[in-house]
Amino acid sequence: MPAEAMVATGTSTMEITVSRSELLRELTATQGVVERKTTIPILSNFLFEAAGDKLSITATDLDLSLRTSCSAKVKKEGACTIPARKLYDYVKLLPDVDISVKLLENHWVNIRAGRSNTKMVGMARSNFPSLPAFPGASIVKIPVAVLRTLISKTIFAISNEESRYTLNGALMVLKPESIVMVATDGHRLAHIEAQEKFGANDMRTLIPKKAMSELHSLLQNADVDEVEFAKDESTLFFRIGQRLLTSRQLTGQFPNYEAVLPKDNTKSVLVRCDDLNGAIQRVAQFADERSGAIRMRLEKNELKVSSSSTEAGESEDSLDTSYTGDALTIGYNSAYLLDFLKAADTEEVRLEFKDPQSAGQLRPEGAEDYKYRYIVMPMRI
Amino acid sequence: MSLVSTSARTIFHLDMDAFFVSVEELFEPSLRGKAVVVGGQREERGVVSAASYEARKFGVHSAMPLRTAAKLCPHAIFVDGHPDRYRDYSQKVHHVLQNFSPQIEMVSIDEAYLEMTGTERLHGPPLRAAHALHKAIHQSTGLNCSIGIASSRLVAKVCSDQSKPNGVLWVMPGYEARFLAPLAIRKIPGVGKVTEQNLQALGIHTVGDLARLDEAFLEERFGKWGLALAGKAQGLDAGGWFDSEIGADEDPKSISHEHTFSVDTADPQQLEATLLRLSEMVGRRLREAGLHARTVQLKLRHADFTTITRAHTLPHSTQLDTELFAEVRKLFRENWKVDQLIRLLGVHVSSFAHDEGQLDLLEGDKQRRWRQALSAADHLRDKYGESAVELGGGLNARFRERVHENPAGLPGKSKKTPPSD
Repeated sequence: MPAEAMVATGTSTMEITVSRSELLRELTATQGVVERKTTIPILSNFLFEAAGDKLSITATDLDLSLRTSCSAKVKKEGACTIPARKLYDYVKLLPDVDISVKLLENHWVNIRAGRSNTKMVGMARSNFPSLPAFPGASIVKIPVAVLRTLISKTIFAISNEESRYTLNGALMVLKPESIVMVATDGHRLAHIEAQEKFGANDMRTLIPKKAMSELHSLLQNADVDEVEFAKDESTLFFRIGQRLLTSRQLTGQFPNYEAVLPKDNTKSVLVRCDDLNGAIQRVAQFADERSGAIRMRLEKNELKVSSSSTEAGESEDSLDTSYTGDALTIGYNSAYLLDFLKAADTEEVRLEFKDPQSAGQLRPEGAEDYKYRYIVMPMRI
Repeated sequence: MSLVSTSARTIFHLDMDAFFVSVEELFEPSLRGKAVVVGGQREERGVVSAASYEARKFGVHSAMPLRTAAKLCPHAIFVDGHPDRYRDYSQKVHHVLQNFSPQIEMVSIDEAYLEMTGTERLHGPPLRAAHALHKAIHQSTGLNCSIGIASSRLVAKVCSDQSKPNGVLWVMPGYEARFLAPLAIRKIPGVGKVTEQNLQALGIHTVGDLARLDEAFLEERFGKWGLALAGKAQGLDAGGWFDSEIGADEDPKSISHEHTFSVDTADPQQLEATLLRLSEMVGRRLREAGLHARTVQLKLRHADFTTITRAHTLPHSTQLDTELFAEVRKLFRENWKVDQLIRLLGVHVSSFAHDEGQLDLLEGDKQRRWRQALSAADHLRDKYGESAVELGGGLNARFRERVHENPAGLPGKSKKTPPSD
């Protein structure tokens, strides 16, 4: 009975039995959200809430929260908090039997499994921050596979530089007939668009990097086909089956990325992705360690990749191409190119250049489902 | 003990006598022979840039607060520095030096090394060449200088110091250690207060005392620096900068400018305007040296002299005043509390690269336009002086450029022009 459940929570009791494998699965999913180093002790704890035949588990770092649940035999409804890392490490070491969790006095929590018996020092449930509630309306459903692809093809381009904080996330744009994801760190930009009918009218959302990466790992192990997405003024909500990820929205103006998409990169060459990847990886061994700078030289029927540094020496690799335009040499940060080639997941990639000062564009050749492009600024070396 | 013989190298160290003061005397002859302090007025904040020999007799020396100098030498005449004048005269000196050796290194605005090895047929033996140089400098500038001649830069520098004022001193090859032996260890370039104290604690007072010590002992005691010391005591160029060749283009490790307010201030506009001026000065020197910096550091000294420095490393290198300022202002805003009185501000950059490196995707056009504008501004400054062009935001902070031994526009530094767009 709901009324009684409320009373039970108030009087600080909780007693449940849960299967070790189910608990471990959910703890694993939630781990990433728990802050490793926090000045607020309660944030290192999981919130356990038992009601009905369910145990729900919550972790938060205030910016990002994840709530998940698993089935449990609930003897006494209630809630408690338990140190997250310790519990996770301990449960991993337990044999695969049922685990009983019982709240004791002073917020201590008793964990029993088979012949193992542990009392963990918890904290008051009332200290645990309350989470925003999932909005009832304006829910957009996004196919899991689509969102997963969008994230994996853009997340690496998000900036870690805190001074340009609007770049510390990716921009998701829901259009009537498509969904776009863009990320940039000011040096390179990843842009991907998937055809999908949403009926949303240019809904722009900035998703922080940590939310992107948590979301991606949740989508990897999703047992549903669709993500339910919603937002209010300050919070983003992603519901994947039993799991609900909420994230603070990044505020501020994402740069006008459309203005920097190259329009007249007429020097174009098609190469095999693996060949280019191998060449850059080899040559990058001999690039300046700090900048990772390499040179790409387009010549007739050939693409040369080279590097040199006073410490390591110099190196060159070349690929056959069908290029017939003017010769051109451009410097790039090798790491930026490798990031894309790894994410592209394609046979062939088209490189499009203009001149050594202007952004180059890389696109997987022949991909139908997604329009994926990667824009990289050169280096002057 | 074997006498050091580095065969037949001949190195000159030329040091202008009381350079700043002497230049001021050219413009105001009535200052001659008087106690003169250059750097600002007696009641002002800031430090002495230079003092005439008469003022030095009273204990006034450069880097001393102006007010202290005024106490030590109340009758001294205090004059403001004129950096543009000093640059002009430094340039004149440089022109003269170029007639004597192809290998010159201006190590500061009033001091240079000349590699004179192998110039005997052209200029005669060292002493004759030195006298000719001494005369030529005087003819061209009306200023006196002192010249040290030796087989190493270290001894040449000590020589010019010993021959001051207006002298020439040659230590013949083989006599270096003997020449140095009676001198106080502090006379060795590179030996500062700390090393001096450490050595004195060991009972070492003269270079001769030092030379008698075992190298191994010095190495054990002072590490690599101990080995360098042992070499220096013998008159060898050893350690740090002295290891490099004259004129070898050594890049600086850092560039900085500071400003002390005449009255402590908590006016955010004045503070930020000052940071902009300092960023401009630093940017100017970066471009002059053809360098791009990645690390920007703010120095903040409060009224009570507590000083903090805060640094940030940028995602890409820059030599643009505007980008340096944006970074420094951010550091300032993060570390300054409203109403805190500030005594001194400083902008310091390091982590240099010769190339611009990674170009920016989002700010690229803006950067390109700034680069062109600043390059044009630099040309005007080269022609009409440092204050010919300034960023508007810095106009609130038009302070006098402090007289600096290593200012922008140091002659003889190769100007590196960035690639044009």
